[in-house]
Amino acid sequence: MPPAPSATASAAPVRAAPDPARRQAIGRGLFWAATALLLAAVLVQGLHSAGWTGVGFANWRPVLYAYVLWSVAVCASQVLRHGQQGQRALFVLPAFLFTLAVVVFPTVFGLFIAFSDWNLSSFTGRQFNGIDNFVAMLNDPYYWNAMGNMVIYVLAVLVQYAIAFGLALLLNAEIRARKFFRVAFLLPFMLSPVAVSWMIGKSLMEYRFGPLAQAARFLGWDSPAFFATPWVARASIIALDSWVSIPFIMILLLAGLQAMPKDIMEAARIDGATGWQSFWKITFPLMLPVSVTAIVLRIIFQLKLADIVINTTAGGPGGATDTVTSFIYREYRDRSNVGYGTMLAEFYFVLIVIFLTVLLALINRWMKRFPTT
Amino acid sequence: MAKWSNDRLDILSVDRRRLLQGAAGFGMALGMAGGLGALSRTAAAQDSIRAQILQIPGVGAGSPGDADWQQVGELCLGATKQNVQEGEFAGVELTFMGLNNQNLHNLLFRGFLKPWETYTGAKITWIDLAQADYNPRLQQAIATGTVDFDILEMGAPFEGDVCGKGLASEMPDWVKAQIDMDDYVDYLKAPVGTWDGKTYRISIDGDCHNFNYRTDYFSDPELAEAWKAEGHEGEWGVPRTWQQVQAVTKFLKGKQVAGQDAYGYLDPLKPWGGFGFYFLASRATAYAKHPDDKAWLFDVDTMKPRINNPAWVRAIQDVLDVLPDQPADQLNADPNTTGFQQFLFGTGSMLSWWGDIGSNARTSDSSVIGETIGFDILPGSDDVYNSKTGQWDKLADGPSFAPNMAYIGWGIYVMARVDGDAKKHKAAWSAAAHLGGKDLSLWTSAYPSGFQPYRKSHFNIAEWTEAGYDEAFISGYLASQSNSYNHPNAAIEPRIPGIFQYYSVAEDELAKVFAGQVDAQTGADNIAAAWEKITDSIGREQQIKLYQASLGL
Repeated sequence: MPPAPSATASAAPVRAAPDPARRQAIGRGLFWAATALLLAAVLVQGLHSAGWTGVGFANWRPVLYAYVLWSVAVCASQVLRHGQQGQRALFVLPAFLFTLAVVVFPTVFGLFIAFSDWNLSSFTGRQFNGIDNFVAMLNDPYYWNAMGNMVIYVLAVLVQYAIAFGLALLLNAEIRARKFFRVAFLLPFMLSPVAVSWMIGKSLMEYRFGPLAQAARFLGWDSPAFFATPWVARASIIALDSWVSIPFIMILLLAGLQAMPKDIMEAARIDGATGWQSFWKITFPLMLPVSVTAIVLRIIFQLKLADIVINTTAGGPGGATDTVTSFIYREYRDRSNVGYGTMLAEFYFVLIVIFLTVLLALINRWMKRFPTT
Repeated sequence: MAKWSNDRLDILSVDRRRLLQGAAGFGMALGMAGGLGALSRTAAAQDSIRAQILQIPGVGAGSPGDADWQQVGELCLGATKQNVQEGEFAGVELTFMGLNNQNLHNLLFRGFLKPWETYTGAKITWIDLAQADYNPRLQQAIATGTVDFDILEMGAPFEGDVCGKGLASEMPDWVKAQIDMDDYVDYLKAPVGTWDGKTYRISIDGDCHNFNYRTDYFSDPELAEAWKAEGHEGEWGVPRTWQQVQAVTKFLKGKQVAGQDAYGYLDPLKPWGGFGFYFLASRATAYAKHPDDKAWLFDVDTMKPRINNPAWVRAIQDVLDVLPDQPADQLNADPNTTGFQQFLFGTGSMLSWWGDIGSNARTSDSSVIGETIGFDILPGSDDVYNSKTGQWDKLADGPSFAPNMAYIGWGIYVMARVDGDAKKHKAAWSAAAHLGGKDLSLWTSAYPSGFQPYRKSHFNIAEWTEAGYDEAFISGYLASQSNSYNHPNAAIEPRIPGIFQYYSVAEDELAKVFAGQVDAQTGADNIAAAWEKITDSIGREQQIKLYQASLGL
């Protein structure tokens, strides 16, 4: 017969809870010790890298280890100092510290690089050059040409949205083989844009043997060069991008349509509303939150458009299809111009944040005009 | 020119025959005198190995694979065995960084070095890079002081970045002897591969742009008749100068050959990560490279760009002049498209490219021009620009030719980080020497490898025909390369740090010119201004010094 649990429990030595004040002191001590270690590591390696002292590590990796140690110590000290509340903080703190390391720090450090002349081929290495990169950027016709192209690409998102909405409505309707079409329409989204640019841009649309070029000839276009003139090239890039992206918008809108209460549509139908009226007065307003989410996400993706352009046109003809990202790619990768490339990227990042903030504010104001939302 | 080409080849092959005859005769004399004739046997054995490896897998027997590469590597181990004892490098670990383009380069090296690893006991770890990743990976390693490789496959244009910064290991004398450096074609000898008089490079490739043309076009009686009827100058035939290339390209517009639209010269106009600039350079060298001046891209004393001088602007204008006569999608055609989707597919009649076009014309399943392709050195020009006088000169002996040694070929370099460890140092150089071996290089020249012929011994037609190549075809192909390599006015690329930065910026500006946004002179001026900025950014004084060193001045 096994011993009664209570007997076992009572037999076990009872661990006295540590004194709260002592526990807090340990927590504080842990935090400051880890902080001191991290700061010491940064200081030693910083001075060593600057060439001011001969003592230091071969690389910055030990500083990274010190940061990891500090992060663990911060988490542990939270628990020791704040008990249950500290334990709750552990749900967020590791993610925050990770974000700090891989997003916030590189962005801030990027600013440090952005204000320097750092050509990887240079014999002098990185040199602080004040606002030279910023001034160069303001006068860089390639950058602003790419920025102009981005306006066109972002506007194209609205067209993509309209097409995606139409497809979502279609797939939400009672049509034959609906499940098949849902999967089929989603397939392009599963393809890599790089694969799409090769399969479609460089194969289907190839001037000599591409089936799309042949079809265009059959329809009367003598020289179906999809990437040789500015506007045709832009339209072709937008078409390739749309091929990949429309399914993404469509699937978000389809989910929204399926979540929409059916009784409202039923009531509208009984009240004699036409399909057009039902769409504009009920479906569209009810779908606005989903639509805004889909459009904003797509704009964020669109602002990073690069892979299709790099593969298909390399920004040509004459920069007509260039994007900010593909230009930064060339500046950084082909020209090893790290300082200037980083300035372009940081400035673009700030512009995107401002643009999206303003856009969301305007959308919020506009959506308030629709009582149903 | 073709005549001169064959003469040159005869000279090269006679030289080699004489050498072998001499060796055999010397061996016979030793034998008659009671000696063993060891030298004779060595030469015969080497010939046997060369013939043997050329049968792996055999011309027309499909693409070679890893087993073939290992077999070739095994058969070519003789030179290594003379300098290294079996198991001498046991415990040595080396890291090799190179390319994996078209599943060649490093993939071949793995196979070639497998028997070397087995024999020496060393172990190699591989870093494979796509072409597009190569430059940034190398530059980052250099700039951040994180060179994590012992052996590097690298093109000569990067020598300024690596050798100029003291990152490479100097070649020991025993390696020079093992790889028989004297066998290199002239232009690959010093100063190429050297910095401050020290040798760093084992060549495994010899690059130049040659002129590929369609023989059926230039033997077409109807085109000949039309050429005469339209009152063009001279007889219908293969152009020898860029002036003639321009005339032929304009003439062919709107005509048909074998039921297809006829086109003349093809210009690759879409940027290609900097490599597209080589194709404008191939048009420009005949105008810009004066026989009395080694420099053609920058002024030697100041690094002032010459890209906006009348010679280069004329080359850019030439492209613009025939742009309407080229296929409609030419603006979006990069060199790869132009070579492998247009020319090999039967579009266009003239093209400048590396040797790959010739080697693919007959071996690629997608090529339709295997029987109708001819080769020559790049066209010349009736006059050449003299940067020093600012005048166009007409040379007494006819058109000026200046073949473009585009990229100068791949080489193997050992990094300075092995210098502190004698065993590792010898191991790294032994591995590099194995890849750059004389016999092994014959195989890489003859089979898909990504490398062109680059030694005098590669131009022995008899070896190629014995291996199964058609004599007329291979003679023309090799002549176009040997005559480029050995040309007294060859345009050698500056091996200065950041050279691809210059090319990349130029591509962007040229794209605007070709799209009609700016004229040739304005575009060239913009390139010059951008190049000045790059020079200042990298360090003008240092660039001047390295530029002069790269030209051997």
